[in-house]
Amino acid sequence: MLRHLLIGLLLSACTQGVYAHAVVTEDSLTSTPIHVGQPAHVQLSFNSKIELGLSQVFLVSKGDKHQLLAIGPGLKQGQIIITIPALTTGDYALRLKVFAADGHLTEDIRHFSVSP
Amino acid sequence: MAGIADFLDSLIGGFDLMCFALAIGGLLWGLCVLRPWQPLSGIAPLLAKSTITLIYKGGFWLAAAQLFKIILKVWLMQTILATSPFPEFAGTTQFIGGIIRIALTLLLAGYAYRYLSRWPQSKEHWRNTGLLAVPMLVSGAWLVHAAGRFDSRVLLMSLTVLHQLAAAAWIGGVFMLINLWQLTHKKAVNAELWPLLLRRFARFGLLAVVGILLSGLPMAWHYINSWNGLIGTGYGNLLMVKVILLGLALGLAGLNHTAVRGFSITGDHYALGRRVPYYVETEALVLVILLFTAASLASQPPAIDIPNLTATWQEVLGTFTPQWPQTNSPSHSALLAGEAGRVAIVGQVPSLAATEWSNYNHNIAGIFITAMGVFAMFSYTRLAHSHRILAWSHYWPLGFVGLGVFLFFRSDAETWPLGPIGFWESTFNNGEVLQHRIATLLVLTLGIYELMARRSQNSDSKLPLMFPIFSAFGGLMLLTHSHIGFQAKSAFLIQVGHTTMGIFALILAGGRWLELKLDAPGKSIAGFISVAALFQIGFILMFYREPLY
Repeated sequence: MLRHLLIGLLLSACTQGVYAHAVVTEDSLTSTPIHVGQPAHVQLSFNSKIELGLSQVFLVSKGDKHQLLAIGPGLKQGQIIITIPALTTGDYALRLKVFAADGHLTEDIRHFSVSP
Repeated sequence: MAGIADFLDSLIGGFDLMCFALAIGGLLWGLCVLRPWQPLSGIAPLLAKSTITLIYKGGFWLAAAQLFKIILKVWLMQTILATSPFPEFAGTTQFIGGIIRIALTLLLAGYAYRYLSRWPQSKEHWRNTGLLAVPMLVSGAWLVHAAGRFDSRVLLMSLTVLHQLAAAAWIGGVFMLINLWQLTHKKAVNAELWPLLLRRFARFGLLAVVGILLSGLPMAWHYINSWNGLIGTGYGNLLMVKVILLGLALGLAGLNHTAVRGFSITGDHYALGRRVPYYVETEALVLVILLFTAASLASQPPAIDIPNLTATWQEVLGTFTPQWPQTNSPSHSALLAGEAGRVAIVGQVPSLAATEWSNYNHNIAGIFITAMGVFAMFSYTRLAHSHRILAWSHYWPLGFVGLGVFLFFRSDAETWPLGPIGFWESTFNNGEVLQHRIATLLVLTLGIYELMARRSQNSDSKLPLMFPIFSAFGGLMLLTHSHIGFQAKSAFLIQVGHTTMGIFALILAGGRWLELKLDAPGKSIAGFISVAALFQIGFILMFYREPLY
C-alpha cells in the first residue's frame, strides 16, 4: 500500500507551470518607439531557437482585447519580426505564445505605449 | 483544461528521470557492481533476475513517459494556441527526437525482457544490453535544454547527457540497493551479499558523484556565470536547491560508508542491518526529490539570459527578514474588487488587498506551524509522558487539520468556495489553483493520518510512515511551486521562500522517517532535526511578505 501511495503522490506532484524557459533577450520596442497611425515592425530576440509555425503573438489593447498579429523570421536564429498595424494613442501589450526548440511553450507579455 | 495539461507536463519530467535512473542506473549497477557472469561471484540468479526486471520495467515506463510527453505537448499547444499543432509539430526536433528515443528505449527494454532476463548470468547479453543503451542515451541529447541554444550547443548537449548518465548511475544504484535489501530481508538471497555489494557500490557511487560534479560544474558556469545569477534568479535558486539536496544525500551516503568500513574492521553486522537500510531509504527519498527539482530547473530561463531580471542578494535576504506577522485580513469584498485590475494585461492595477490577503494566509499558517512545533518539542519531554493533561501534546498533528480547514477557505478566495469562479473552472484551468487545492487536501490528510497513527494500538501499523511520505510530497510541491501573474523578479522572490521551505519539509520528512526506523541515539537525533525543520518552516511563513507587483 505504501509503495502505491508513494507513486501516486509523485504522480500528482510538481506543477511548475512556468512557461519561461525561452525568454526575450532584446526587443526593438525600447530603441524604436511606435508612432501613432504608422504600421510598424517589432523585432524580438530570444535566447533559444523558436518554432515559428507553433508560435502566436497577439496585440492586446485597452479592455484586454486580443488581435492576432502576423509574425516572420528575423535575420538571426531566435529572432522574430512582428507586424504591428497602425495604432491610436494609448497603452498596449504584445502577448507572446512561443514554442522553443527545446520543447517548452513560453508565454510572455511586453508592454508598450503609443504616443503622438 | 490548460491547468491539467500544464500540471501533467511539468510532473512527467521528474517521472521520466526516475524511469531513466531505474533503467540506465540498473544497467550500470548490473555491469559494474553486480557482475553476475563472474565465476564464484556468489550473485544469486534471483538477484540478477530481479535487477533485470527493474531495468526493463524502467525502460518500458520510460518509453511510456516519453510518449506521454509528446501527447501532452500536443494537448498543451492545442489548448494554448487554440489550433491543431500539426503538421508543424511533426517536423520539430522535439517530435522527431522523442519518437526516435521511444523506439530506442523500447529496443533496449525489449532486449532486456526477451533475452537478458532468460540468461541473467550471460556476459554477452549484459554487454549487448549495454551497447543498446548507447544510442538511446545519445538520442536524449536533442531533447534537453541545450538543444535550443545558439552557443556551445554540442558541448552543452554532451555535458547534459553525461550529467544524466552519472546521476542515473548513482540514483539507480541506490534504487538497486533498496531492492537488494528487500531480498536480503526476506532471506531470498545470501546475507553476505549485502555488505559485499554495499562495499562495491561505495566505490562506484563515488565515481558517479565525481562524474556529476565534473559535468555539472561547467554547465553551471555557462548558464549562470556570476554569483548574483546564482543567488538572484530562479535558475540559480533551483541549482542551489540541487546542491543542498546533493549534500544531504552525500551525508547519508557518508553514514553508509562509515557503517561499511566499521563492518570491515570489526565484522559487526549490527549497523549494516539496523541502520544502513534506513539511511539508504532516506537517501533515495532525497534523490527522487532531486530528480523532480532537476526537471523543474529545465523549465527556468538560464540566469545568464536575464541579467535585467536578477534580484540582488539584499533583496533575497530581505524575504527572510523577521517582522511582525500580519494578523488582520482585508475583507473578502475588497479582495474581489481588486481582482479585475490585478489580472488585466493592459492597464494592470496591483491589488493591495490581494497582497495583504496572501500575507495574512501565509503568516497565520506560520503561526499554526510554529505552535505545532512547540507542542511537538514539548511532547518529547518527560512531563508530556507523566502528566495526564500535558500528554495531549502528543496530538500536535491536529494542528494540520485546522490548517487544512483554514487553507480550504482562504487560499484562492476569488474561486470556489468563497469566490465567483467555480470549482471545476478554477481547478482545471489554473495550475496554481490546482496546486493549492492539492496542498490543502495534503495538509488535511496528513493531519488525519498522523492522528490515526498516534491513536493506533497496533505496533506494526504502517500509518506512522504516512507522515514522512506526505511531508516529502509537500516539500516536493514547495520546491516546484509557481506563482502566476507576478513580474519575473517578484515571482522569483516568492520562489526563494517556497524552495527554502521545501528543503526544510524534506528534512522534516527524512528526519521523521529515520526517527521511526532507527534505534537510539540516532532516533532521537533524527526526531530533533525533524522538529527543528518544522520550526524553520513556521518562521519563514510567519515572516512572509508578498511583493505588490
